[in-house]
Amino acid sequence: MTESSFDRLNRREFLKLGATGLGCAAFAIPGFAGETKGHEAEYYEKLKDGKIKCHICPQECEVTNRERGTCGTRENRDGKYYTLVYGQVAAANIDPIEKKPLFHYHPTKKAFSIATPGCNFICKFCQNWEISQKRPEQVKTVEFSAKNVIFNARNRHCPIVAHTYTEPVIFFEFMRDCAMIGKEAGIPNVMVSNGFIQEKPMRELCRHLGAVKIDLKAFTDDFYQKICGGKLKPVLDTIRVVKEEGIWLELVVLIIPTLNDSPREIDQMTKWIYRELGPDVPLHFSRYYPTFMLQNIPPTPPETLYRCRKIALNNGLNFVYIGNILTEAANTYCPHCGSLLIERAGFAAEIVGMKKNRCAKCGQLIPGVFD
Amino acid sequence: MNFSRREFLQRCVNSMAYFTVSSAFPRVFARPIKAASRVVEVRDDKLKRVGDDVNPEAAGRMLNRALQKLMQANSDLSAWKSLFNPRERVGIKVSCLPGRKLSSSVGLVHAIVEGLGLAGIPAKNIIVWERTARELKEAGFSLSRRGVRVAGTDEYPNGGYDNRITFAGSVGTCFSVLMEKVDAVISVPVLKDHDIAGISAGMKNFYGAIFNPNKYHGNGCNPFVADLCTHPLIRDKLRLVVLDASRLQLQNGPAFFHRYAMEYGGLVLGTDPVAVDTVGWHIVDRERVKKGLKTLKQVNRLPGYIATAEKRGLGHMQGAYIDRIIL
Repeated sequence: MTESSFDRLNRREFLKLGATGLGCAAFAIPGFAGETKGHEAEYYEKLKDGKIKCHICPQECEVTNRERGTCGTRENRDGKYYTLVYGQVAAANIDPIEKKPLFHYHPTKKAFSIATPGCNFICKFCQNWEISQKRPEQVKTVEFSAKNVIFNARNRHCPIVAHTYTEPVIFFEFMRDCAMIGKEAGIPNVMVSNGFIQEKPMRELCRHLGAVKIDLKAFTDDFYQKICGGKLKPVLDTIRVVKEEGIWLELVVLIIPTLNDSPREIDQMTKWIYRELGPDVPLHFSRYYPTFMLQNIPPTPPETLYRCRKIALNNGLNFVYIGNILTEAANTYCPHCGSLLIERAGFAAEIVGMKKNRCAKCGQLIPGVFD
Repeated sequence: MNFSRREFLQRCVNSMAYFTVSSAFPRVFARPIKAASRVVEVRDDKLKRVGDDVNPEAAGRMLNRALQKLMQANSDLSAWKSLFNPRERVGIKVSCLPGRKLSSSVGLVHAIVEGLGLAGIPAKNIIVWERTARELKEAGFSLSRRGVRVAGTDEYPNGGYDNRITFAGSVGTCFSVLMEKVDAVISVPVLKDHDIAGISAGMKNFYGAIFNPNKYHGNGCNPFVADLCTHPLIRDKLRLVVLDASRLQLQNGPAFFHRYAMEYGGLVLGTDPVAVDTVGWHIVDRERVKKGLKTLKQVNRLPGYIATAEKRGLGHMQGAYIDRIIL
């Protein structure tokens, strides 16, 4: 018998594999998980003939035996529904909280940031598609318990844990457990999400989370359907629920030229935010860069972002930021006297004009969670 | 787009020839010529599964008989040789998601490998593959690195998928590296009902060749299955479809349900994936009706992606263009 010709590597593949091997050897962590393990999922309904209906997100996937939902992370195994990503961490980093971005939530602090593979959307512009769009078995993961996440955060001097990079809704059970333990330990958890989650699980999360950042991808259902594989209304519903539950909330809109940058759409969106959430919800307009499946549109011109910001400010919003470019529009100014409160450059931030949660100059109360 | 001098001259000559001939014979060239696609269906009690597998010898006899008819060849040797070149590397894409009871049968795959051997393809240039090694093992295949390779995409570096995003109509994805490593592909799925897509057959089998199939199950997988199959990696490499209909699943697929499974003892072969899937669909519908079930149309699960595939030029769906031969 001769060796199969399908295992031969070319020089480039050989070198890459060698480098990967060395990397793995250098950073090996016990519990490296190569196969998909199962942890029974929550929020699902058993249908007839062994089928399952998932109620974690508004996709409401009906899943037959051995199949998975749109997220690729929840599997029907003989009529029982399993999440394959509980504790399967594909990325763990220490980030400034400004990177989420959460600008009014413990500014300048570090967040122990984690993600598992998978997402319930298929955003054509996803920056993290190499973990968000893959199935669990296609991504290298490290196994963490919820306790271990909080332990790691504390050990690394991070007062916050962020569930981010991919879509935390699909690892709901793990995030919820981390948030529960974190709350008891004094390490709040934050969720960086697309907001595509059903009301019940979202309300349950709100009991344990410290803050939520939601990506409002656009203000048209057409964009949500064609570019993200989702729907607008459930996201707006989630935003309302988070506000109603009193959790600190910030919104981000990635502005993509020609797709969601029309002045009319931004006007409607910011009027809705003002009407439903009030003037004090921070809103971030971020610059898009070509990536994943959206390579044919150039990066957002800075002028477009300034124009969006102007519309939002004119519609009464007090804290409108611009992200992914270096600009003074990333600073926080007092809405009453205009003083500089927090200065930011990239992800670096410095509190320069605040006393506790008030403007140092005029005493104006600044909404948010400050130390 | 860059052409070499040779390619440029070749294209000029081709264009001139086309315009000259088409102006001389406008009726002939006014519309594309539609040659009928041959689909061969063979059915025999010996092809029914014993336990969860078919007898490889019986499968081999039926397969070769059907292939001779399909290729209009007068021997097994010439039939296989008319499809494959001895220097090619051939991938056999099996379907193993539902476990042993409803996966591509090992005996049939064994017979296909023997046939490729007849065509002069060395064992080391044949690979039997599926998404994961686990699925292959659960379906009864023995993973192998020597001789005929039996492997899951996940055994290859970086999860086994190319890291470049590639597009095919509405589908954006990364392919299994195995699709790039082979010169020709044989699609060997189990013919079955599919709760979302209507049926799962030769074309949908390629959902197992991409990294994000879960993103393309909306709207009965239409147009996604068809779009995916327009990708050159599939369109240009798919050489033969062999539907394993030894055991059919008529309802509640793709999982195995004893109540809706039947021992059919059949194979469906063709080189036109649209025509083969069309015949497969008709078989499922016919057997559903015999069992007292409604047709897929009546239960609102028409496999619409087949019609889309025809519109994309991947093959024929209309009966008039399918030369269906039943052995």
